Amino acid sequence: MSKNIFINGKGFSFEGEKTVLEVARENGIYIPSLCYHEKVGPANKCRVCVVEVDGMKDLQTSCSLAAADGMKVGTTTEKVLEAQRMVVNLLLSNGNHNCLSCEANGDCELQDAAYYLGIERPPFVIEEHKEREDSGAFILRDPEKCIQCGRCIEGCNRLVVNEVLDFGYRGGHTEVVWDNDMPLDDSNCVECGECVQMCPVGALIAKKGMGRARRWETKPVRTTCPYCGVGCQLDLHVKDDQIIRVTGTEGAQPNMGHLCVKGRFGYDFIYSDERLTTPLIRENDGFREASWDEALNLVAGKFTQIIEESGPDAIAGVSCARSINEDSYNMQKLFRSVIGTNNIDHCART
Amino acid sequence: MDTTERGTRIQDLIGKYPQKESAVLPVLQLLQKEGGNYLSKEAMEVAARELGCSASRVYGVATYYSMFNTKPVGKYHLQVDTCVPGFLHGADDIAAHISKKLGIEPGETTKDGLFTLSKVQDLGSCATGPVVQVNDRYFENMTAEKTDQLLEALKNGGWPDNDTAMKVVSKCGILLNDRSRKDCRTLALYKKNGGYQALETALSMKPEAIVAEVKAAEVRGRGGAGFPAGTKWSFLPKDDPRPVYLICNADEGEPGTFKDRQIMEFNPHLLIEGIAISAQALNSAKAFIYIRGEFSWIADILETAIGEANQAGYLKHVDIVVHRGAGSYVCGDETAQIESLEGKRGNPRVKPPFPANSGLYGCPTVVNNVETLSSVPYIINNGAAGFKEIGVANNYGPKIFGVSGHVNQPGIFEYPMGTPLQEILEAAGGVKGNLKGVIVGGLSVPILTAEEAKGLNLDYDSCARAGTALGSGGIMVVNDTVSIPELALRTIEFYEHESCGQCAPCRKGTHTIKSKLRDLVMGRGKSDDIDLVLSLCKNIKGLTLCPTGEAFAAPVQAMVAKFRAEFEALVKR
Ligand SMILES: Cc1cc2nc3c(=O)[nH]c(=O)nc-3n(C[C@H](O)[C@H](O)[C@H](O)COP(=O)(O)O)c2cc1C
Ligand code: SF4
Ligand code: SF4
Ligand code: FES
Repeated sequence: MSKNIFINGKGFSFEGEKTVLEVARENGIYIPSLCYHEKVGPANKCRVCVVEVDGMKDLQTSCSLAAADGMKVGTTTEKVLEAQRMVVNLLLSNGNHNCLSCEANGDCELQDAAYYLGIERPPFVIEEHKEREDSGAFILRDPEKCIQCGRCIEGCNRLVVNEVLDFGYRGGHTEVVWDNDMPLDDSNCVECGECVQMCPVGALIAKKGMGRARRWETKPVRTTCPYCGVGCQLDLHVKDDQIIRVTGTEGAQPNMGHLCVKGRFGYDFIYSDERLTTPLIRENDGFREASWDEALNLVAGKFTQIIEESGPDAIAGVSCARSINEDSYNMQKLFRSVIGTNNIDHCART
Repeated sequence: MDTTERGTRIQDLIGKYPQKESAVLPVLQLLQKEGGNYLSKEAMEVAARELGCSASRVYGVATYYSMFNTKPVGKYHLQVDTCVPGFLHGADDIAAHISKKLGIEPGETTKDGLFTLSKVQDLGSCATGPVVQVNDRYFENMTAEKTDQLLEALKNGGWPDNDTAMKVVSKCGILLNDRSRKDCRTLALYKKNGGYQALETALSMKPEAIVAEVKAAEVRGRGGAGFPAGTKWSFLPKDDPRPVYLICNADEGEPGTFKDRQIMEFNPHLLIEGIAISAQALNSAKAFIYIRGEFSWIADILETAIGEANQAGYLKHVDIVVHRGAGSYVCGDETAQIESLEGKRGNPRVKPPFPANSGLYGCPTVVNNVETLSSVPYIINNGAAGFKEIGVANNYGPKIFGVSGHVNQPGIFEYPMGTPLQEILEAAGGVKGNLKGVIVGGLSVPILTAEEAKGLNLDYDSCARAGTALGSGGIMVVNDTVSIPELALRTIEFYEHESCGQCAPCRKGTHTIKSKLRDLVMGRGKSDDIDLVLSLCKNIKGLTLCPTGEAFAAPVQAMVAKFRAEFEALVKR
């Protein structure tokens, strides 16, 4: 049965169990939020997503408030905006949020919130200095930008289950730690980069793209990861035919945004001068370039010859671990029904 | 300790809990002790291995709780409580004296490695301040002279006696006993005075009947919120297959509060009997006493008393485990306490779900304060009606008030609910000097000016009407020698230190308010800073994940609003 809630006086219908934030987002209503991520659910930490609800005394966090039939919600009342401004100001003034030089500029949930709330610069500044941590091969940590939302930690422990991250220390000293607060490179971190993808701000940065393009300069190109048979969906963020960054495609099967270190960071091979761009035919001691037609005719001819001389079982098919499942399927189909052999294998098995 | 012995002891600790990870705090405490009051990263790795959890999880816990020394300290760790009650009792002078004497600043260790000096937050020893905790021993009522004696004794490898003197008055004689008797905490004396009769009665009653009696007595929770205990008990789901847990909240972290320890230290069987009856009422076979880690000798007393009660066959229906905290005020919040008991960082949980439905290990759980549970035997012995003869309407029974700060005889006073503040202050020897203000319910309630405090009765409703709260009944008296901006700074320093850091308004708000108040106190503040502090307090109230936001915003706001002129006078012109 569909239910109705009223947001800023306008009715919206929804089905099933939903939070107020979810209903608002579905209907294009922006409520600033910093710690909620759909993959890990509400964290109730940032308190920026508050709304005013008829009949409730205190402001409510929309990320965890269940939408109820007939509920009347205000997202832009003065009380809401004042609270939101206070929190965003507190976060901006207790850290080093210099958007000009930040890699996350244009793709930052804190920046979005500040812009929405009309905050030009924080009204007060609390001096604090925390060192960047640069030991990782692919990930840079900038604790001065961390807003302690905990999304990276949830990602590490609940999504990819690497169990490397947690919060250490307490209160204003609370910080994300790798194992027992060791440099990233010495820790058990495999740099899958899930934490980078979960981070709403510029506190965790993919190093390879640094200084090469701001977010709005790149175009996303959706593709399938070429590394293994899982077929993870990813987005290449491309500028001038160069990949600046790679992210897992959120909400898409099979990986729902997760990637491994190779899929996320190991894309340089595509720029290698040694990549094969045409078929090569071995002749004498070396190879010579050939056209696809010539190469395929040669292979087909040799197959036919071997089958005639020694029967189809003299041929075996091995598919590459980097092929996607569909390609491996087609390979065995070809060998079983066209060539007529059950000699099928896969390189990852040997 | 060799590694096999250590392994066995760790397994013993794990065995006390339904779930392994609950043993994180006790295991780390054991390893810290073994490491000479130092918890190294290697030790944390041992704990992670034994407990089967990740390194970061254990590290996160170890660095959350202030009693774990993750940096080495001297042989004697001198911890001076400079929180508000200590401050009123002159603790700063003691800290300065030690600094001068040993030539070290707070946070430093003497070259010979003998002494480390730290300023710490409230130690729950408010009437006997200044107090210095040396490793796990308290030294109360300190003076410069006694501090010299203490340092001298420690240098020679000895421990001087602790002077615990303070005024103790029990008008009701229900919760406090005669502590002057050497055998005050024994089972024999407790029984001789009629102890455990209530339990015997309760064991012959139907659980619902016990709940009904407690509900009828309208005993309001003494932990601070004043929620009726019987009503809370009746929220437990009926016919639920899950085990029910009872947690006795003995965290006593609210500055100004030192009441629960009076029961636990001198009259432990009263609490144990209260827990045993309550466990019977709630069908709980496992109860925990979560006691703040600093009270380690009191935890020992409780364990001894539980042993006695067990031997006497009083605890056949319930296993009571004493669980020592490790230095965190927020772990006094019931949901943070549950997290902590599960071996995690003491981060409060979002409610709902409420503990009655999903508490410890996701099971139905009741959390009650020491004083609340200790009132239960009296209710069973005398009936709800008997209990309601004490106190005033809607606020029944005895209440332990702690009085610290500027009175002539600070101490502990068991009086009926609703007793006039004036009467308690007189029992405490009267105000020392001219009264400026009084905080009646622990540090988290708004201060009352001398004028506002006139005619106040100490019960939940009267205090609410006066714009404050009875809270824990920790009364701090402030005379006119005290600068309120200084007091406000001390206040926010406490909450900044204790904030769990989970939610942004509290984590960043405490920090920002502290820095602004410090600017003002140091004479480098601006007029805007006063308004900024007020507006932060206003917006933080009701915005945070747990009540801690309110707990610092309300008192700081009251101090600034009511004594604004003192703040203005500090503004740089
Ligand atoms: C930050 C914070 C600290 C608290 N500290 C204590 C405490 O030290 N002792 C206590 O009994 N209750 C404390 N409480 C209240 C508990 O959450 C809980 O309400 C209480 O233990 C319930 O017991 P009662 O109903 O018997 O009072 C605290 C609450 C908060 C929010
Ligand atoms: S590093 Fe990023 S994701 Fe992690 S807690 Fe900080 S802001 Fe959140
Ligand atoms: S209000 Fe403070 S103590 Fe409570 S959850 Fe938030 S940060 Fe933690
Ligand atoms: S998004 Fe709701 S509290 Fe952070």
